[in-house]
Amino acid sequence: MNQPPSPPSSTPAPPANGIGRRSFLRTSVVLTTGLAAMAASLKPLLEINDFPTMQRFLQKYYKEMTPEDMAKVLKRIENEVEAQYGMRPHVRDLKPMDGVEFVYCLNLTRCIGCRKCVHACVAENNQSRDPEIQYIRVLRLPDGSLDIDKADHFYAPESVPEKGYFYMPVQCQQCKNPPCVKVCPVHATWQEADGITVIDYDWCIGCRYCEAACPYWARRFNFTKPSLPKERLNPDMAYLGNRPRRQGVMEKCHFCIQRTRAGRYPACLEVCPAGARKFGNILDPDSEVSYILKSKRVFIQLKSEMGTSPRFFYYFDV
Amino acid sequence: MRRALRNYFVFLWRCARIAFVGDWRYQAWMGLLTVICLLGLNAYCRQFAHGLIVTGMSDEVSWGVYIANFTFLVGVAAAAVMMVIPVYIYKNEDLHDLVIFGELLAVAAILMCLAFVTVDLGRPDRFWHLIPGIGQFNFPKSMLSWDVLVLNGYLLLNVHICGYLLYCRYRKTKPGKWFYIPFVFIAIVWAVSIHTVTAFLYVGLGGRPFWNSAIVGPRFLASAFTAGPALIILAMQVVRRVTSYPSPGAEASQAGGAAPQPSKRRAATNEDFALLSRDLLEMATVPAEAQRRALPMAEVLEVQTGDALLRQGETGERAFFILRGSVVVVREEGGRMRVTRTAGAGEQVGEISALNATPRMATAVAEEPSVVLSLSAEALRILMESPQVNKIVRSRMSERLLITDRALMTLRSIVQVSMLINVFLLVNEVFKEFYSGNLHDASSKYLFVGLDHHHALVPWIWTAITFNVTAMVLLVLPVSRRLKWLNVTCVLCIVGIWIEKGMGLVIPGFIPTPLGEMMEYRPSLNEALVCFGIWAFGLLCYTVFLRMSVPILQGRLSKENEGVPEQSGRRPAAGLTAPSTDAT
Repeated sequence: MNQPPSPPSSTPAPPANGIGRRSFLRTSVVLTTGLAAMAASLKPLLEINDFPTMQRFLQKYYKEMTPEDMAKVLKRIENEVEAQYGMRPHVRDLKPMDGVEFVYCLNLTRCIGCRKCVHACVAENNQSRDPEIQYIRVLRLPDGSLDIDKADHFYAPESVPEKGYFYMPVQCQQCKNPPCVKVCPVHATWQEADGITVIDYDWCIGCRYCEAACPYWARRFNFTKPSLPKERLNPDMAYLGNRPRRQGVMEKCHFCIQRTRAGRYPACLEVCPAGARKFGNILDPDSEVSYILKSKRVFIQLKSEMGTSPRFFYYFDV
Repeated sequence: MRRALRNYFVFLWRCARIAFVGDWRYQAWMGLLTVICLLGLNAYCRQFAHGLIVTGMSDEVSWGVYIANFTFLVGVAAAAVMMVIPVYIYKNEDLHDLVIFGELLAVAAILMCLAFVTVDLGRPDRFWHLIPGIGQFNFPKSMLSWDVLVLNGYLLLNVHICGYLLYCRYRKTKPGKWFYIPFVFIAIVWAVSIHTVTAFLYVGLGGRPFWNSAIVGPRFLASAFTAGPALIILAMQVVRRVTSYPSPGAEASQAGGAAPQPSKRRAATNEDFALLSRDLLEMATVPAEAQRRALPMAEVLEVQTGDALLRQGETGERAFFILRGSVVVVREEGGRMRVTRTAGAGEQVGEISALNATPRMATAVAEEPSVVLSLSAEALRILMESPQVNKIVRSRMSERLLITDRALMTLRSIVQVSMLINVFLLVNEVFKEFYSGNLHDASSKYLFVGLDHHHALVPWIWTAITFNVTAMVLLVLPVSRRLKWLNVTCVLCIVGIWIEKGMGLVIPGFIPTPLGEMMEYRPSLNEALVCFGIWAFGLLCYTVFLRMSVPILQGRLSKENEGVPEQSGRRPAAGLTAPSTDAT
C-alpha cells in the first residue's frame, strides 16, 4: 500500500543495465521509506504494558467454564494480582444462593447526602482511583420534585443536609428486565438467579452499547488502564465482583457480590450513617425489605415507565 | 478445476499489479492517502495502547465521532442500491455502467464502517467473542449482533456481484444470470435492512428519548438516499475525468477540428453495407428488406484528416460507421482536450446521442483520410432490429463506460426526492419535540437552541439545516441540471447530512445523561486523526477498486492480453509520450 514501484517503461529499453540499476535503487528507496513510515506509525504499540497473554486471550466464557477451568483461572488471577499489587488476594467464584432474590430499599427521608456510600463503594470494589470510577451518583433535588432533570450532581455545601433539598443516591437498579443485558452482542453481561446483573470482565468487548442502553446511567467504562494504589487493594474478591478490571471493559454496581453472596451487607449500606439503606432477600417474608415493601404505602421505582422493573426501591417515611 | 483456479489467480494478480501502476497524479494521490492512513494508524496505535481515554468520549457521552461516521457510512453503503433498482427493475440503460461503481462504493463504505466500529471497541483483541460458533453471539436479541450479520452479509453480497461481473468482463464471457441476478435482488432488500437495523440500534433504547422515536428509521433511509447518490454523482464525475487519458495529439486534433464539414458525400448503396459487413460481421444478419428501408436514410462521406464528423455539444441526429480509415474521439473537459478512444473500420461513433437525441458528448475527428457510413437515428434503429446488430452496438456502447449526463440527472432526481422527504421528516420531528412541550425534549433543546448555557452543537445543526434546505431548493430549481450547480448541491447534501446524522443524532442522544447531567463532547485530535485515517483508507480502497475495474470494463484489461505488461491508464499507446522514468 506504500509508494508503488515505478510503472514499467513503455519505451524501447535503454541499456538494460542502467535502467535495472535505477529501478532497483528506486524500488529499494521506496520500500525502505515505506517500511520506516510503517514502523514509525506502529511505534506507540511499544507503550502497551499490559499485553494479554495467550491464556488470557483464549480464556473461555464464564458460563462455559468447567469447575476445573474456573479453579485454574482463579489461581491465575490471584497470581497476576499478587504480582501487580504485592498482596495475595482471595478470589472466589461465588454462586447465587437458592431461594434468594436481592432487593435494595432506600429511605429518601433519611438520606442526608453525605456521599459516604460513594466512597465506601470505591474502597470496597477496587475501582480505579485515577480516573476515579464511582458506581453511585447522589442527586440533590429541590423539595417537592422528583424531576431528575432538576438534579444537581455536584452540590458541595459546607455541611449536609441542606434546607429545601433532599438527596437521592442512584446506582445500578438491578432491573428485572434489564435493557443492558438485552443489547450486549456477546452475552458478556447477564442476570443471575438472585437478581444481580453481572459482567464477565474477561469477555466484554468494550462496545459500550450497554452504557447507552441503561436508563439510569449506572454503567462505567474503563477508558484507560485502571490505577489502584497497592495499599488500597481489597483482597477479598469475587470473579463477577470486585476483582481488578482491565482497560477497555465495562463495570458497575453488583450489590457487592463478594459480600452479599457470603451473607454480609453491601459496603454502601454498612457505611450509611443515617440508616437510609436497607438490603435483603425479597423471597424471605420475614426479611427487612419484605417488611418495608409490604408496609410502605408508596415507593418509587425510578423511570418505571421504561418497563425495566428495578429491584431498587425508594421510599419516604411518612 | 485447477486451470480455473489458476486463471482466477492470474486475474487477481493482474488486478493487484495494476493498482500500483499509474501516472504521477495517481501516484501522488495514492501517496497522500497512504500518508494520512499511516497518521491515522499511528493515532490508533496510541489509542490501542492507552485506551479510549485519548478520545473525547466519557461515561456521559460514551459514543462519539467514530459511531457518527459509522452511521453516516452505513447510509452511503445502503444507497448503492439506488443505482441497482433502476437498472435491474426498471431496465434503465443510462445507469447500467454505474452500477458496478456504485456497488464498489458500497464495498469501500462497508470497509470504513467496519473500521469505525473496530476502533470504537475497548477490547478489539476480543473481537472473536463476536464470531458465532466460537464466541457468544447474542442473536437475535441484540441489535448489534444483527448489525454484525447484515453488514458483513452486505459486504459479501457486493463483493460477489462486483467480482463476478468484473471477472466475466475480464474473460469476455456472458455472466450467468443465476450467478448474480438472485444476489442483486437479495442485495436490494439487504441494503434497506442494513440501514434499518442501524437505525434500530438507536430506536431500541427506551432510556434515550431522543433516539426512541419511530421516525428515526425512515429518516435514516431518506438521508441515506440523499447523501449516497450525491456522493456517487461526484465520484462518477471524477471517474469520468480521470479515465479518459490526455494525449499530446489532442490539441492537434482540436486545431484540425476547426476544418469545414466534409464536402464529399453521396447516397449509400448496398455495396457500402456489404463493405461494412466485412469488418462488422453482425451487419450481414440484417435482412435485405430492412436494409432497403434504411438505405434512403444513409449516405457515405469521404473525409480528410482533421475533418470533424460531429462536435461536442451539438445535438446528435446521425450515427457513423467507419468503412475505411480511423476516427479519433476527443472530449473537452474543464478546458482540456482528452482523447477518449479511436474508432477503426467497422466501429461506430455518435450512436449514443443519435439514439438518445442528446447532445454529442465528444468530438470525432478523422485521423486519416477515411470513408464513413452516415445513418440517421431511424436507419440505425432499423438495422438494430436484427438482434445481433442490436447486441453488438449496445455492448460496444457499454464497453465505452458511459457515465452520461443523463445518468447523473437520473441520480439527481433520486437525490431530489429523497432530500424533500428528508427535510419533511425533519420538520415532523422538530414539530413533535417542540410543540407538545413534553419533558423528554431536553436533548432536542440542547441540539437546536442550547440548554443551560451548553450549546456546542447549535452552530453545527443550524449549518446542517441551512445546507440541507439550500440543497433542497437548488434541487427543485432547474439550475441544478447544470453540472456545476449540481456539484455544489451534492456537496451541500453530503456535508449537511453528515452533520445531521453524525454530530446531530449520535451526540445529543447522550446529552443530558439519563440522570440529567450536562456534559458536552468534543472530539480529541487523536480521535480526529483516526477518523481521517479511516476516510483515507476508504478512499484508497475505492481508488484501487476503480483502478482495477475501469480498464476491465473498457476492455483494456482482459484475458486476451494476458502477458502484455500493464500500461498506465492515462497514457495513450506506447511511444506517444515521453515516459516519466526517463530522467535524461
